[in-house]
Amino acid sequence: MMTSTLLVASIIKILVIVGFLFNVAGLLTWVDRRQSAMIQDRVGPNRAVIKIGKFELRVFGLLHTAADGVKFFFKEDFMPPKADKLLFSLAPILVMVPVLALAAVIPMADTLCLKQIHMTAMVNGAEQSWWPAAERVGTCTTDSVEGAVSPLNVGILYVFAMAGQGIVGAGIAGWSSDNKFSLMGALRAASQMVSYEVAIGLSLVGAMMTYGTVRLDDMVRWQGENAWGIFVQPLAFFLFFVSAVAESKRIPFDLPEAESELVSGYFTEYSGMKFGMFYFAEYMEIVTSSMLVVVVFLGGWQLPFLHRDGLTIAISDVVLVETVKMSHLLVTIIGVVTFFGKTLAICFIQAFVRWSLPRFRYDQLMRLGWRVLLPAALANIFITGLVLLAIQDAGPSVQGALKTAADVTQGIVAILLASLALRGVVFAFSSRKIEHVLVGSAAAMSNARGGTKDAPMGA
Amino acid sequence: MPTFKLDGKEIPFEPGDSIIRAAWKQGIEVPHYCWHPGLSAPANCRMCLVEIKPPEGQRGVMLDIVEWDEKNQRYENKRKPKLLPSCQMQAVENQEVLAETSPHVLEARKYVQEALLLNHPVDCPICDQAGECKLQDYWLEHQGTKKRMREEPIHKPKGVVFGDTIVYDGERCVMCTRCIRFMDEVAKDPVLEMRERGNLNEIMVAPGRKLEGNYTFMVEHVCPVGALTTKDFRFKARVWFLRSAKSVCQGCATGCNAHLDFDPRYNKAYRYRPRDNEAVNKFWMCDPGMMSYHRATEGRVVSAYVKGKTSSVKKALDEAKSLLASVPASSVAVLFSAQHSQEDNWALRELAATFMGASNLYVTGLPDGFEDNILIHHDKNPNRAGVMRLSSAIKPFEDFAKDVARGAITHVIALGGETPAEVDLSNVQIVTVAAYEGALTKAAKVVLPATSWAEASGTYVNAKGMAQVADKALEPQGLSEPGWKLLAALGQALGYDCTWAKLREVRERLEPAAPATTATAPASELAK
Amino acid sequence: MQAFPKKPASPTNATPVEYTEKNLTTQSYLPEIFKGLGVSMKHFFANTRDMVKGQRPDPVLERYSAGVSTISYPEQKRPYPERFRGVHRLTHRDDGSPRCVACLCCSTACPAQCIFIEAGEYPEGDKRRGYERFPVRFVIDELRCIFCGYCVEACPCDAIRMDTGVHAVPYDSRDQFIYDKTALMGFTGRDGGHVTQNPRHEPGEAGHPGVDREHGH
Repeated sequence: MMTSTLLVASIIKILVIVGFLFNVAGLLTWVDRRQSAMIQDRVGPNRAVIKIGKFELRVFGLLHTAADGVKFFFKEDFMPPKADKLLFSLAPILVMVPVLALAAVIPMADTLCLKQIHMTAMVNGAEQSWWPAAERVGTCTTDSVEGAVSPLNVGILYVFAMAGQGIVGAGIAGWSSDNKFSLMGALRAASQMVSYEVAIGLSLVGAMMTYGTVRLDDMVRWQGENAWGIFVQPLAFFLFFVSAVAESKRIPFDLPEAESELVSGYFTEYSGMKFGMFYFAEYMEIVTSSMLVVVVFLGGWQLPFLHRDGLTIAISDVVLVETVKMSHLLVTIIGVVTFFGKTLAICFIQAFVRWSLPRFRYDQLMRLGWRVLLPAALANIFITGLVLLAIQDAGPSVQGALKTAADVTQGIVAILLASLALRGVVFAFSSRKIEHVLVGSAAAMSNARGGTKDAPMGA
Repeated sequence: MPTFKLDGKEIPFEPGDSIIRAAWKQGIEVPHYCWHPGLSAPANCRMCLVEIKPPEGQRGVMLDIVEWDEKNQRYENKRKPKLLPSCQMQAVENQEVLAETSPHVLEARKYVQEALLLNHPVDCPICDQAGECKLQDYWLEHQGTKKRMREEPIHKPKGVVFGDTIVYDGERCVMCTRCIRFMDEVAKDPVLEMRERGNLNEIMVAPGRKLEGNYTFMVEHVCPVGALTTKDFRFKARVWFLRSAKSVCQGCATGCNAHLDFDPRYNKAYRYRPRDNEAVNKFWMCDPGMMSYHRATEGRVVSAYVKGKTSSVKKALDEAKSLLASVPASSVAVLFSAQHSQEDNWALRELAATFMGASNLYVTGLPDGFEDNILIHHDKNPNRAGVMRLSSAIKPFEDFAKDVARGAITHVIALGGETPAEVDLSNVQIVTVAAYEGALTKAAKVVLPATSWAEASGTYVNAKGMAQVADKALEPQGLSEPGWKLLAALGQALGYDCTWAKLREVRERLEPAAPATTATAPASELAK
Repeated sequence: MQAFPKKPASPTNATPVEYTEKNLTTQSYLPEIFKGLGVSMKHFFANTRDMVKGQRPDPVLERYSAGVSTISYPEQKRPYPERFRGVHRLTHRDDGSPRCVACLCCSTACPAQCIFIEAGEYPEGDKRRGYERFPVRFVIDELRCIFCGYCVEACPCDAIRMDTGVHAVPYDSRDQFIYDKTALMGFTGRDGGHVTQNPRHEPGEAGHPGVDREHGH
């Protein structure tokens, strides 16, 4: 019985994570366009339309994503005559699969204890049922569903292994295309990935030392009990974020694609759905890297003061709000939503980075990787080690102070989030100053006609 | 030679020359409308007025006038010299004449010009003369003021048809009477006359007649304004789009010098204008000659033909080679063309007589026609004299007809397409290099397209024995190439050493073969 | 620390370029990166808010205000200024024939040589014969045209105008850019009419030719 439940749970988890990955990757193509338009004072995509009678469905240009999909499937699947047929077809799969596989170890929520979801008991002769809260600390050992599809012991090491596989696909794509631009793109991709893989790995070592584990779900739990990784390992967060952006091969690190130099880099010769897979893998990479950032540095499914058993606002021993018990299922669902919400926010920030910063030159890219990020990561490891040793040697008073500081960070995050939300509301109800100026005969004519504003297009 | 002074410059003259003619011979223009170097001088336009200083010790004729004095704000009595028309005043030795240097003359020109434009409709935009109009030129040079008359101008007949060729516009006319004098003095047919007086003057055709004959086009060309226009050129082009090439008329053996006006944008010829040459045509050309520019595009061979079907030049040459390869020279006839240039005929002679050794030489061309004693020659071919010079063995076309009928000839290498008479050519194999279609091109097995006179520079020897060069105007049409080039290619195809490849080489080798007296045009071409 | 040696004062009036000094702040690029992200975000959020609330500034009337100022072209059009030079038209007379007298002045003035006119003569008996000619063919190659307006300036009859308000139109083949007389006469001015307000005199009317513009009847 338990096996079948686990099987169902696994299938649900797979559907959730893969569904999230695909949908968000698809949405990101739209976000990329729409967000860039908003940043650059443009309208953005709004041409794709479904006409049902007189009704026109445009959904803010979201249909462009659908149109892209249709286009990928129906475009000619061109292969250069001298290309290596097998490898050429294999490459997009090799790019796509590791990204998907990587998502298997990402914990979406805390472990769910099946027995604690719903309880029934005979009380005073009547059967009563209730949704109990879980224990604050510890997890159930039996009948539990892990937050990740496949919670591996090696956790983060598996992530490194999988993330490193993407380069194989890119390399093969470039080599098998029989095109100089493709080959150069592949070479650039290879060296860039290798360089930043080093920085990414070393930047996480500090985090692993702090958390004392390589299991991703344990890392999140540590963050929930103490402070988020971004406060404990700010330098590592920064290094990891930069390297993760570099891994996704997007501006400012888009040297392997480099439209202005290499046409389209290692996938120059690809078209149709094969190109679509490269394109899609790139966006999925953004999602997975965001998930990793969230898991390792932003507390995963955790929200400030929301514990396994419910809401408790306490800083050290000063309890501000007594524990409000919440049912186990609700807390788990909030956790899942929180995790995905954080992921989306990071994706969003990555898109901002892509539309704000200029590109690197190749030598600058290499210099940044080897001469800035790598030494910084190494320094981070040493400092972390020293601090950890110092804390161990320090007395309980220091440890208590640290515990208080950790709780304060939780408070800071809570206040930050609340103020951001408030700011957003205020901003939403403000409006900008608009100046009415008539210059030239064209404006006069436009004015007489009532302006050019009446856009018949969906915005 | 005696001389007189015009604006301080010594001008030589022949006794009897008028001042304006002596100046014209020196390339100095005294502005004029009615005077024409080839016509009499009526002195009715008053544009050529000059001031002639009285001889030493004598008094000149002076006129009493009143002039507005700007300083004293009143009219003052003044005297000024009487100006005289330079077209009627004969040049006198040591006489001092003032034109550009005399303020009186400049003033007179201005007022004469203003008077001439008084009733002019100023419809330059639709006038064919615009761009080469004396009224426009002189307004710019000598007047430059606005019209002061506020009255309605005189209206006169417009668009009057004078005959089959000429249309008259009375409002544009300045009554210079050049057309009347031309018809009277040169064409010897005084069919034009002037009627009414003063500003009601107009040109008319004699009642019961129309303007006809062989020299009607010249009426348009002597007209200094846009009053007379030819139906042929009317509204066809604006003259500023046209470029001119110094050409030679192909209409007859007179070889009148002409400008061939063409539009390089459309590669199309629009008209002939006579080119002054005292020794040949003076200032005139005949109507058939004027219209012969149409031959630049009409009846042309613009593609190679093999047995009546169009083909490339290369294939036609191959066919000609297989046709002529094993034929004895004695049964080959060589037909020179009086229609083609001396260069083409020379090339044919080199190929046929020198290389092939053919001895049956004949000349072809267009048949004889109408003749008069002014310009038109009975021989309608521009280069017969040149062809006859190339070899003494060249026989007339009648002999060719006889030889063909006799069966002595099996093959013909010909230049040109026309024949002066009809011949049965069904028994001979003909290879021809032709610019125009004719009996020969119809019967020919192989036709190679040669350029016409308008498309390549060529020398033509007229009936008086003057060799004259017609310059290239148009780009070759279709596949056509200069005849001498095609003949060189034909010779090379037949295995002969025909080495001429440039016009200069042909000319250099041609000169000793056919010495020519070259006519010279007068220094000035100011007059029409 | 000076990144570049200071250049001596320029003898001309040029302003010397000011170089930023190299220090940790500038060399790490981090402040500027965050500033850049901030600018992007400011635009993003403000524009998104405006789009959602439908408060975009008018691209013509409120052109100096910040915000999304895109004109969605085929549906929205920026009005052209009054003197905008659009596709040519041939103006009509009262009887519907073209005012053009085929003088070729426009074709002469045209620097792109895009105007081809074939002139014709009115038949005998027509009152315009002798006074005017008319265009048998009037062809403009709009692909060659550079819209300089010289033809309009050159026209003595106000027969060709560029006041259609129609800009150069894209087509799929070159033939479609060749506008003949019928097409050119089919266009109207921006007021919707085929005529122009400038007076013209038909032959036979008092004072038809011969008096200058300033003192015209």
